[in-house]
Amino acid sequence: MTVTETHGGGTPEPENAAPAARRAWWRSLLADRAAAPAMLLLMAIVLAALFAPLIAPHDPNANSRAIMQPPVWSERGTAEYLLGTDSQGRDILSRALYGTRLTLLIGLVAIGIGGVIGSTLGLLSAMYRRIDPWIMRINDMMLSFPAILLGLALVAVAGPGVLPVIVALGIASIPDCARIARSIGIGVMGQEYIEAGRAVGLSDWAIFRRYLLRNSISSIMIFLSLRFGQIILIGAALSFLGLGARPPTSELGMMAAQGRDTLMFAPHIATIPSVVIFVIVLCANITGDALRDVLDPRLQT
Amino acid sequence: MRKSLLYGAVAVALALPASGQEINIVREVDSNNYDPHKSTARSASEVLFMLGDTLVSLEPDMSTITDGLAKEWEVSDDGLTYTFHLKDGIKFCDGREMTAEDVVYSLKRWIDPETNSPVAWRAGEVKDITAPDPKTVKYELKAPFSELLYQLTQSFATVIDKNNVEELGEDFGVTGFNGTGPFCWQEWLPRDRLTMTRHEGYGWGPAFYQNKGPAHMAGITWQIVPEENTRTVALMTNQSQVTQYIPAIALQQIRQAPNLELVRSDAAFWTYFMGFKIDKPSVSDPAVRKALNLAVDQEALARDIMFGEVTPAYSYISENALDWDKTLNDKLLRYDPEEAKRILDEAGWKPGEDGVREKDGVRLAPVAYIQSGSTWQKLAEFVQAELLKVGIGMQIQAFDATVFWGKVATQEFDAFGMSYPYISAGDALNLYFLSQNMPTPNRMNWDDPETDEWLAEGRHATDDATRAAAYAKVLNKVHDAAVWLPLYHEPMTIVQSKELETIVPHNIYGAGLYKGLDLKFRE
Repeated sequence: MTVTETHGGGTPEPENAAPAARRAWWRSLLADRAAAPAMLLLMAIVLAALFAPLIAPHDPNANSRAIMQPPVWSERGTAEYLLGTDSQGRDILSRALYGTRLTLLIGLVAIGIGGVIGSTLGLLSAMYRRIDPWIMRINDMMLSFPAILLGLALVAVAGPGVLPVIVALGIASIPDCARIARSIGIGVMGQEYIEAGRAVGLSDWAIFRRYLLRNSISSIMIFLSLRFGQIILIGAALSFLGLGARPPTSELGMMAAQGRDTLMFAPHIATIPSVVIFVIVLCANITGDALRDVLDPRLQT
Repeated sequence: MRKSLLYGAVAVALALPASGQEINIVREVDSNNYDPHKSTARSASEVLFMLGDTLVSLEPDMSTITDGLAKEWEVSDDGLTYTFHLKDGIKFCDGREMTAEDVVYSLKRWIDPETNSPVAWRAGEVKDITAPDPKTVKYELKAPFSELLYQLTQSFATVIDKNNVEELGEDFGVTGFNGTGPFCWQEWLPRDRLTMTRHEGYGWGPAFYQNKGPAHMAGITWQIVPEENTRTVALMTNQSQVTQYIPAIALQQIRQAPNLELVRSDAAFWTYFMGFKIDKPSVSDPAVRKALNLAVDQEALARDIMFGEVTPAYSYISENALDWDKTLNDKLLRYDPEEAKRILDEAGWKPGEDGVREKDGVRLAPVAYIQSGSTWQKLAEFVQAELLKVGIGMQIQAFDATVFWGKVATQEFDAFGMSYPYISAGDALNLYFLSQNMPTPNRMNWDDPETDEWLAEGRHATDDATRAAAYAKVLNKVHDAAVWLPLYHEPMTIVQSKELETIVPHNIYGAGLYKGLDLKFRE
């Protein structure tokens, strides 16, 4: 009985308010003139990357003897290679599709690792104030390592590859994420329903899962969506430095690095992957911004 | 944006000299030091040839030995004693007169175990080096060494000043260098630039130079510009007047540039290849190595990746190099992917699910170590794509120059990418195929008593025919075993400003300008 009473006490339990809020959420997101096209574009890119093996007109790793073909819209371009070929004679469109796939995968997995570990740590320190100083001081130490440096160190130990880059990016996202989760969590822990939950004898695990996590998750997700763009950018930078995917695997940052040598003669080789990175990051950032605008209750009032 | 910033930075950095009789030479990498006995880098040799002199010199044809510090020399009939007679009036940059004792000191330091020089073997099996009088040097060997005079033209045999070495200690070749060359050390800012000024009293240049000294140039700046597009722009905008480090892709454009001239020599003995560790599970099979050689289209590589500026290679040394066995020409492995597949099928390497072949649980996916940087990245990816077409899944691992040399001294890899300068078959074969040179530079683990014996026969030969015959046997054996995959021979290409008189490109150790005595502005 008491439990239902506390629930009815006007505290924002998202589960109960769900149907109405969700509709509004979608509507205001689609009404946003920047967010809607950005989201559609991002979705198109994700789908294209997902179905790369079906869409790609050529084998991304096969070298043809037609090197440095310009894209179709330039004078000497052909429909055979819509975006032209690189200096090894590989189809840039196919490589960009596969490359986007890998770039997105690196970003998603890294943000997943960083998000799960980081927010767990942050929320735990919000809940148990005794371990808070310990976790946060370690966190501060981790904050002082830039992702690129961490990537370099990991690659030095493990050798270049996609996995060390993902791990480096994941680890690098932990401290930021933990900080955000902690501050959100502390706010939630101050709410009356937590005390009420304790009063009815809920276990720590139940409080963590039912109140703390559910009330913090949307804010954390917003942060992660904003962070996603950054992670992709750093991932591409690491690949650009030759630390990421090993040839012949294509990755957008690596494609840009390889095109650098021929920038004066065949600028499309470096430009196309760079533009794709730019578009992905821009779309991810705009979408993240819009999500924050519609989801963050503090901005609504 | 980044580009324009770079060009801007170069413009500022290079704008300083180029007035009067001074030039800027741009190049890709710096050396770790300029001590002739402690660096094998081409970038060290380039500078040392100008700062110092050797007893004998090599003409641009890469085969004629001519005078250097020695005006003449005699070789005893048994090939064991070389007597050099020095020119008169040779002085170090600090003004001190050079004597035979200085030559003895320099050569002895080269072979001294304490110096721990990686190139000590190049001096032969020395019995003793002495100076019977101040103008004579006697070089005595335990066994004849047919390569000796060629080796003595290299920068490793540069004559240095004992006082200078002792005074500077560890900093010799870092903070200073006192030599007898046409130019004198001024300053070195590592990974930025090295400056040198004219040696005013110089007048003992080799006979093949019209100008025996002093040099026409009052000063030379060697500027490091790692980015290849930036180097090209530096030449086009006359911020630099000479370089041999222009990417192949830009050469066509350079030819059309009104202010630039391109000189080229095909007698440059510098070959790019991939070597295989012959005791590793996959590449230990001679059939695999043969198939590797057949699967790669060197002609397409030379045309597409190097823009036709290089010669496709099927042999391990240039076919123009001294002691190349011409009968091998017809036996070299040339592009034939169908034959490669057939050989692999026959040897029992069956394609797996992903197209990469397997045999007895071993995947045909050799790991190749290469030096990071645009050249090897491009070469390795080309080779990788070619090999994949016949079912060989080569994996590439690139390392920065600072760790690469350590990595290729290990036993971790199956293949490696390398390029090297040489002057003759003997020079190349003794470097790479002697069993005592394992694990490096004999990174293939080519451990064959017969080869060692033939190589010794070649080294100890006192006449040309015996030497050529001995090296021919080794050439046949290693080509037959397909220990390497040759890629291309790189010619010496120098791009120069038309303000300068046309340069005769040299090729010694890949140092295109050699002593720099003919560098001169047009009048």
